Amino acid sequence: MNRQNKIVIGLNLDKHLYGVIAAILSAISLFMPYISIEEEKKSLVAACMELAGQDTFSRSYLFVYLTMFFASVSAVLAVVSFFKTTVALVKIWQSLQAISTVFWGLLMFSTRTICKAAGLSGNFLNRNLGYGYWLGFVFSFVALLLVMKVTRTNRGYIALTVLGAIWLFPILWIVLTAFRAEQGYYVGYFIPHGFTFDNFINLFTNNSVLPFGRWWLNTLIVATCSCVINTLIVLGTSYVLSRTRFAGRKAFMNILMIIGMFPGFMSLIAVYNILKGLGLNQSLMALIVVSAAGAAMGYHVSKGFFDTIPKAIDEAAIIDGASRLQIFLHVTLPLSKSIIVYTVLGGFLGAWSDYIFPSMLFGDKQSSYTVAVGLFWLTDFKRIDTYYTQFAAGAVVVALPIVILFIWLQRFYVEGLSGSVKG
Amino acid sequence: MKLVNNRNIITTFTKGDIFSKLSYLIMGLSNIRNGQVIKGFIFAAIEALYIAFMAMMGNHNLHMMRTLGESTQGMVYNESLGIYEVTKGDNSMLILLEGVMTLVLTGAFLATWLFSIYSGEKARSARALGKRASSFLEDIKSLANENVHFLLLSVPVLGLSIFTVMPLIYMILMAFTNYDQDHQPPGNLFTWVGIKNFFTLLSTGDRLSNTFWPVLGWTLIWGFAATFSCYFGGMILAMIINSKGIKYKKFWRTVFVITMAIPGFISLRVVSTMLGERGIINVLLQQWGFTEAALPFLTSVTWARVSVIVVNFWIGVPVTMLMVSGILMNIPGELYESAKIDGAGPVTMFRKITFPYMWFVTTPYIIANLISNFNNFNPIYFLTGGEPLTLDYFKGAGKTDLLVTWLYKLTKDSNDYNLAATIGIIIFVISAVFTLISFSRSGAMKNEEGFQ
Repeated sequence: MNRQNKIVIGLNLDKHLYGVIAAILSAISLFMPYISIEEEKKSLVAACMELAGQDTFSRSYLFVYLTMFFASVSAVLAVVSFFKTTVALVKIWQSLQAISTVFWGLLMFSTRTICKAAGLSGNFLNRNLGYGYWLGFVFSFVALLLVMKVTRTNRGYIALTVLGAIWLFPILWIVLTAFRAEQGYYVGYFIPHGFTFDNFINLFTNNSVLPFGRWWLNTLIVATCSCVINTLIVLGTSYVLSRTRFAGRKAFMNILMIIGMFPGFMSLIAVYNILKGLGLNQSLMALIVVSAAGAAMGYHVSKGFFDTIPKAIDEAAIIDGASRLQIFLHVTLPLSKSIIVYTVLGGFLGAWSDYIFPSMLFGDKQSSYTVAVGLFWLTDFKRIDTYYTQFAAGAVVVALPIVILFIWLQRFYVEGLSGSVKG
Repeated sequence: MKLVNNRNIITTFTKGDIFSKLSYLIMGLSNIRNGQVIKGFIFAAIEALYIAFMAMMGNHNLHMMRTLGESTQGMVYNESLGIYEVTKGDNSMLILLEGVMTLVLTGAFLATWLFSIYSGEKARSARALGKRASSFLEDIKSLANENVHFLLLSVPVLGLSIFTVMPLIYMILMAFTNYDQDHQPPGNLFTWVGIKNFFTLLSTGDRLSNTFWPVLGWTLIWGFAATFSCYFGGMILAMIINSKGIKYKKFWRTVFVITMAIPGFISLRVVSTMLGERGIINVLLQQWGFTEAALPFLTSVTWARVSVIVVNFWIGVPVTMLMVSGILMNIPGELYESAKIDGAGPVTMFRKITFPYMWFVTTPYIIANLISNFNNFNPIYFLTGGEPLTLDYFKGAGKTDLLVTWLYKLTKDSNDYNLAATIGIIIFVISAVFTLISFSRSGAMKNEEGFQ
């Protein structure tokens, strides 16, 4: 049969044949050595027979059965699609091939459990996997790549899925831990045996030991105040630096740049002493004041944004008799919604994650802790075993609103970020 | 006529009348003479206050700064009562702080002095031209208009001077003292030692310099590894998400952005507990049959160094991804189309179009990022705390410590403030060098009329 002449709309058949061959090879590797335990080699099919013959059943056996099932079915479909090429058929093959590849991959994570459950070998390690397994996995993957090429599907999905799983893994873990009924840091399993809300309830009721509610409120107060004050200061500073020209403007920007090159917390001890002199030490006020005092340092992004607003608008307003301050408040600010949101968000997030200064400021005065200091204190090696699940619950309570806020306002954040590159 | 307007700080004096000349000594005299009575009196009052302050405290503060205190706190036998009494000694730290405060106040006063002369001269020239000098009310009103920078910058400048500049001067001076563990006020005095701290840290063969150079080396390796891994990782991720044929782009972006939205200390602490010897990752790796014994993710030197870079990758890639997404869309699509016609594959297109364009636009960003990574406190402190510790290093410093985390430990745990300050100055020098490189690069770019 002459494949070159075959054309199906919506498909790119150049690599179809190779895809089919890869799928078949993947199915053939089912008969090649899957595991080798103590010099004895077993193919996947043989292992399957053996497991089926046993009286006991473990859920982990399903991985073996399903891998075999999907590998063979997708090979069959591949062959069928070769002789009767339609879009629908190839698409079905593609999804089966994807599932088959996933199962081949999962086998890598479950073989040890299977061997244990079946009483085959107590200390199986993945390096004992036979070449049949690796061939099967690789061919299945290659077949998937090729069939995606046939259906003109972007191969980026594979990368995104794998990366996405890795990226979300720690987050999933902490969420599961927050709902875990069994206390303690060390558990030998991923999915909790029991789910509960107690960790969250304890967090807010167990005030004598762990005043989390207080910490949370402290942080909220600081975050709210300082995001308002900081935004006003940052926007004012960047407006002046962007829109007006005055003696010493360049010098002022250079001084800010030079100050910015020193590590910020180098001078914390002096700041602490000054606060003590002002009678502000160990109070939340100190956090707000210090963060407001340094806010002007972050003028770059919003200055870059103001620079892009046409000067002609200002000039028109001046002709209409507006003062500079009126222009700032009534012309420039309404045009700068995205940068305002960016600055507010930055100030708000900063207060939630600031650790160094509060930890130095409050020392052991627990009632003034912010969540950053408090949660860090909970993961101290002395406390981690008792409080790990509560720590996880606290982390979820803190992170959830911020994540929602962030996702909701993502657009503005991106605009701000790309603004920072321009400037 | 022009001459009248163009007097500078020297010619105002040489060409001025007696009031102008005298106003160099008595601030505001020229203003009063030329019709700005309230303003003139405010200047005079500021001067009076400053002189009073200097006479009562400032002079003494500056004088004390020369030695940073002489009398140590001690026990003196009181003969009349027959007991030992504690005598209050000098507190070097407070002396230094007060001295710096006086210096900053003097600086502020000098600025006011200059301003008063400028303002007096302006009033005089207005009168010489036959106009009326602006009244006090008009001056106030001008704050909302041509002088809006005074209004809007006053709060930031005040805040920066008190909580940034003053502490910074204090810490810089501290690098030239011996304020370490053995010289803690109020019990002990510390004093000036010149550049001895820099010398011990940089050149002698003892523990300190044997700690400093390896820590600096690791700081540089970390900075480059962290910056470039995240840069390329983020760029590739952004290209995948933005490529044609990927549906639900917003969903995919959100998946990765979640790690960025979670406050750093939380995600880092979580990952740190996961990577522990009995943490979930080790448990799972053993359960899945990848390894027999727990892997020393955070306890062996090489493992720990790789771990912090990988975890930083996890946190940093989404940031670059978001930033790069915007720039990628700005690359003219025709470039790709004509490349495709010429038969270029995706790799060639990346090498010849995407990468040069990105590199061109983002060089300043990369350098800024490099500097901030040299000073990236969070990943190190929350993940490993600088550990694993080693006996080769000065107390407290560990193998994954950066200069900043070491600085923090020196301040917080061992109170060796002089060393911390010295390291801070060295970090400043490193940042300054990279900033200068960045400036010269972006200066060259401005002449180039964009990407070609």
